[in-house]
Amino acid sequence: MKAVPGAGSQRAVIWWRRLIVMTRKEMLQLFRDVPIVAFLVYSFTLAIYITGNGIRSQLHEANLLVHDADHSISSRELIHRFQAPFFRLNGQVLDSREGLRRLDRGTAVAFLEIPPRFHEQLMTGEPTAVQLLVDTTNSANGLSVASYAGRIVARFGQESAFDRGGSFGDSSPDLPLITSDHRVWYNPDQNEAWFECISHLLRQITIFALLLPAAALVREKERGTVEQLLVSPLSPFQIMASKVLAMTLVILGATAVGLFGVMQPVFGVPIKGNIWLFFTLTALFVVTTAGMGLAAATLARNQGQVGMMTLLVAAPMLMLSGITAPMEAMPASVRAVMALSPLRYFIDIANGILLKGTGLNILWDSVLAMAALGASLFGFGLWRFRRQFQ
Amino acid sequence: MNIRRIAAVASKEWRETVRDRMFFSLAFVLPILWMLVFGYGLILDVENIPYAALDGDQSARSRDYLYRFQQSRYFDFKGALTDEREVEPLLASGRIRAAIIIPEKFGERLNAGRMVGVQTLIDGTFPLRTDITKGYVIAINSAFNEERLVDYISRKSGISRVQAEHRARPIKLDVRYLYNEEVRSSWSMVPALVMFTLMLSSPLLTALGIVREKETGSIYNIYSSTVTKVEFLVGKLLPYALISSLNTVVLWIMATRWFNVPFRGNLLFFLAASLVFVLCGTGLGLLVSLLVRTQIAALIITIIITMVPTILFSGLIVPVSSLGPGSQFQAHLFPGMYYTNIVRGTFLKGIGPEVLWMDVLALALYAVILRFVGYGLFTKRPRS
Repeated sequence: MKAVPGAGSQRAVIWWRRLIVMTRKEMLQLFRDVPIVAFLVYSFTLAIYITGNGIRSQLHEANLLVHDADHSISSRELIHRFQAPFFRLNGQVLDSREGLRRLDRGTAVAFLEIPPRFHEQLMTGEPTAVQLLVDTTNSANGLSVASYAGRIVARFGQESAFDRGGSFGDSSPDLPLITSDHRVWYNPDQNEAWFECISHLLRQITIFALLLPAAALVREKERGTVEQLLVSPLSPFQIMASKVLAMTLVILGATAVGLFGVMQPVFGVPIKGNIWLFFTLTALFVVTTAGMGLAAATLARNQGQVGMMTLLVAAPMLMLSGITAPMEAMPASVRAVMALSPLRYFIDIANGILLKGTGLNILWDSVLAMAALGASLFGFGLWRFRRQFQ
Repeated sequence: MNIRRIAAVASKEWRETVRDRMFFSLAFVLPILWMLVFGYGLILDVENIPYAALDGDQSARSRDYLYRFQQSRYFDFKGALTDEREVEPLLASGRIRAAIIIPEKFGERLNAGRMVGVQTLIDGTFPLRTDITKGYVIAINSAFNEERLVDYISRKSGISRVQAEHRARPIKLDVRYLYNEEVRSSWSMVPALVMFTLMLSSPLLTALGIVREKETGSIYNIYSSTVTKVEFLVGKLLPYALISSLNTVVLWIMATRWFNVPFRGNLLFFLAASLVFVLCGTGLGLLVSLLVRTQIAALIITIIITMVPTILFSGLIVPVSSLGPGSQFQAHLFPGMYYTNIVRGTFLKGIGPEVLWMDVLALALYAVILRFVGYGLFTKRPRS
């Protein structure tokens, strides 16, 4: 094959030069589509800002309605305990029917009813009960409301029992109880903006990585320009790889803008691990996801089909890979299917590097799984592409 | 407006859609598949949180305490630790999400009637999971504490356990769950998935259909024909509105028959409101298609402006009332939120137009405005 040693290296230079020229062509084509560029900028800046600022998955300001039939110090004190950030007192009603109506209308998610003689019973040590009606049309939120309300009421009860004093036959505060000392690692202040903007960044990367190369490839097929490319000295690999390369560079640039332009300065997201490792693995993720899109593109004949196919894949990826709902909640069967989603590994990698400061020594299995997935998807796409045109 | 010309445009569009077999079948398969995948997969009841425990005491008391975690379906025991230094790599790799550390002399101190601290280390990367894990730990701890306290009171003051229980917990909280009495995740997710599916599929179908003509140039046939702007837009949107309406019915049947979610409201009202919502979706697709020249741009923009707000701001997972002010504003800009109120209201609450009229009105306004904007943007005389 390589008779002259110089010829081989010369061929390699030409090979690379062709790849670079094609990559440049893809980039030019992308940047001339003004609406796409506008949305690319929006997605990696303003959208991340809005999401980091606004989304809270913990219970936050649940609208509480109260019917206080007692009007005593104790009932007022108990009502007062339902406070921000978990609850927001949304007024009092005079009877329970009105409370139910407000729950129906959705202007309140919980309705607390304090019975008459509440204070009296509490003072005499008689058992008493308060009722909480919870709207569970959003089940997770409803359970959360009930759990926080339970803690508030139990605490109030115990404290008022202590206040009466001597009722335990002993005034010493040392009781055989365990005090739980929770320490939250990696995000000690429970700053939700960190999680939300990292998740959002991953969402945007996924959407663009899935769609841009796939649509670019199918567009050439649809318009017939791919025939021109195939009669040129380019190999199918170069045609496919140049698209992926161009989009990967664009997405990496956008990620850098999002990370250093919004997430770090505005929300103070820490970058504990190695930033180069983060970008290298982001590139690997983009290539893997692009491989998924390209595999779909080789099956489709026009952009409409590719759009529907990628949407079919994108929605489950975005919803079930562990950035929207925790993996621990999903049934085993769904978790098994999600092993095929590269995002499922990348979330561990991104959180690991940014928040936990872990390196390859811990993340190697996720990286390996993602690389294997990427290689097989890319291989499948290339095989289909070759077969279609040769 | 000429009905025959509208019918001609609509039938041409319908044929074009039907003849692209893959596109056509995906238009129907996609909603069904999503409903199945998300109906089973998108569950927010966090269970089986992987944890490890370090029992520094190894007494009967500490074993009794840890047993409560092992028995709970919310926790999944991954192993016993012998050294606190083992915790870090396990949490860092995500193999466990929580670690419980029991100090030495745990049992001894409790038996002597003294307080003792138990440490819980929780992975904070996913705030929702962290919060839920914390809640479960607190619940187990307070159950354990209450028993200790009851024991202690009855021993100290020589009263029966029942009386001691009243003293340890003077106020009972009776919780009644409304609308979703057994608090099933699927009951609250599946109706909202009807919204999710329609919100994503109907704009995309429409946007692709119109830009396709622009990109391939076949729109010049329309430019040079006698078809007016209104006739073209109405005829063009009809097939897509029809597909989405059919999908609404299919999704309703799946929700009530397959996932057994109760439907307590008025079916006619639900279908009418859904039609208005579908018109919003197709209107959104129309708007996108008029603003861009290429299908790739239409695809990306439609997905970005529908998928992300639908996941985040429509009340699907996070209730709109707990969003920050900026996000609440954004939530009100998208039709998803209003329709979420309508689906959850008609399925679970059994309420009708008397409560939901505002939401329907908002959707109707939305659909009308989108059409006016679309009419204004569409021109039969292309610039350049």
